[in-house]
Amino acid sequence: MAAQQSLPNTQAPLDVYGGDEVSALVLDAGYCHTRAGFAGEDVPKSVLPSFYGSLKTSNPDSTTTTYREIFGDECLYPRADFEVKNYMSRSESVVEDWDAATKLWEHMLISRLQPDRESPPIIRSSAKEGTADGEGDVAMEDVEVQEKPLAENPLLMTEAPWNSGKAREKAIEIAMENWGCPAFWMTRTPVCAAFAAGKASALVIDVGGANTSVTAIHDGMILKRSIQKSQIGGLWLSQQIRTMWDNNEPKVNVVPYFMIENKTPVDAGAPAQARLRKYPFEITSSYRAYEEERLLTEFKESVVEVWRGPGRYLNPGNEELVKTQPGRVFEMPDGWNQMWREQRYRVSEGMWDENAALPNPDGNAKAQTIPEMIKACLNAVDVDLRPNLLGNVVVTGGTSLLNGFNDRLNNELMAMHPGMKIKLHAAGLTTERRFGAWIGGSILASLGTFHQMWISRKEYEENGVGIVEKRCK
Amino acid sequence: MYECISAFNDLKLAKKYKYIIFKLSDDNREIVVEEASAEKDWEVFRQKLISATAKTKSGAVTKGPRYAVYDFEYGLASGEGLRNKITFIAWSPDDAGVMPKMIYASSKEGLKRSLNGIGYELQANDPDDIEYDTVLKTVSKGLAG
Repeated sequence: MAAQQSLPNTQAPLDVYGGDEVSALVLDAGYCHTRAGFAGEDVPKSVLPSFYGSLKTSNPDSTTTTYREIFGDECLYPRADFEVKNYMSRSESVVEDWDAATKLWEHMLISRLQPDRESPPIIRSSAKEGTADGEGDVAMEDVEVQEKPLAENPLLMTEAPWNSGKAREKAIEIAMENWGCPAFWMTRTPVCAAFAAGKASALVIDVGGANTSVTAIHDGMILKRSIQKSQIGGLWLSQQIRTMWDNNEPKVNVVPYFMIENKTPVDAGAPAQARLRKYPFEITSSYRAYEEERLLTEFKESVVEVWRGPGRYLNPGNEELVKTQPGRVFEMPDGWNQMWREQRYRVSEGMWDENAALPNPDGNAKAQTIPEMIKACLNAVDVDLRPNLLGNVVVTGGTSLLNGFNDRLNNELMAMHPGMKIKLHAAGLTTERRFGAWIGGSILASLGTFHQMWISRKEYEENGVGIVEKRCK
Repeated sequence: MYECISAFNDLKLAKKYKYIIFKLSDDNREIVVEEASAEKDWEVFRQKLISATAKTKSGAVTKGPRYAVYDFEYGLASGEGLRNKITFIAWSPDDAGVMPKMIYASSKEGLKRSLNGIGYELQANDPDDIEYDTVLKTVSKGLAG
């Protein structure tokens, strides 16, 4: 498989999956990351932050300033006049800035996935100009004057279940008009996740970066009224950690890696001894926030844990029990370090217990907890379907990888529905959990039987953008 | 597909079979009958599902999903006689590969729609889900004796 993947697209044997379409592309956009790759592969070849850089450049010949977008994590480093933006909407996890979205997607689907293709000259020249200031990745402009870049690649995109009709039409329009895709399809992320778990009916709990959703799927169809969405996800958890750090004694100083020039190891709790790096320009707050978020991600991965239950963490006795257990040490970039013991359970408890959520400076700490979402979701579906859904709970999304998450979820479900058969299905591989929807889309798009499903260019030309609402139900 | 429908009709109308197991052809392009049998023992049928395999892209053999139709027969606890219910089973073991699971889950509707007269549908993901007693209870809605 690996050998086949490295072949340029044009030479790749087309008959690997019994004549299935292997040149199809799959794109899965989320608030934190955007994933793109070839259908039929196990993991997305390109995973980039949905955050991108916007560089202010003044034209030498005039007083006007222009902004240039740059994409990819490797170009998000400290630089002058540099803002970090995101093209998705944080509260909805749907596209907000279509211009940036199109550019980022083009960057991934064209420059990253198909570097071997004959690039139109215009790209080369802008690439050269980019290298001059140490920039490998540049936004591509004027692609349209060339031959349409994806004329040979059907495109499958995933979307949030609450995505608007307008947004879907916009997506097919970009794929067909800008990129010249021969075929297009849109599928909803929870359906992909359920299918990838081998289930046509399931209760899908997707704990992502900006949002967590709970959706009931019956026979491969989303039950629209059951969709629940809440801010409780990775970023919400980050906010909780910040509050905890602020209230810590001493207050934790959040200094991201890029600001540290060197550091000396210090004992736990001792003040940091580090020299800060100086930059001859101002670091924007958006860039700093992005870097702090990366630090928080590390903390989440290595320290934070979910109280496994049974019962809530704040129930009497639990905290005392945890205090007797070994904690975990986390060292900040500046060398300051501390042992975290009961606090590491405390920060994630708000996902389950509304009263445990730490106050949030934004004032939106009150978010629907996961048990509440499940309850609301089940209440919106037919009573007869509920046992089947509880027996087929699919857990996906990167934030569900928190230690202890599944145990707690199982305990909460059992407490909510005593006597019912409850079965969780969560992929063991972290990649399958992080890229669950992408992988589902990848398999779907690679199936020979899927051929008849694609919305073809001809259909699009006959019916216009409205076709996507009619076909992708 | 035609073969699947005619086998199903033999089960439904002619009562020729007790169960039919369907699978996807090796090129994943169509659904074919793997086995149609008059064997009455549920356990034989169950073991057939449990031992079903599928090939991954790289050619390795793993547990595999299947579709099956079983002509379930049970007596009512109230003593009102025997009932038959043709049960459709979507068998997808959790330890099968993602690829076959995805293919089977997404192709199920096609098969189900062409088989007329299914009384009950069951989604099963591990051997416990297809224990005779469990299935009987759900299929009969607790009315079996």
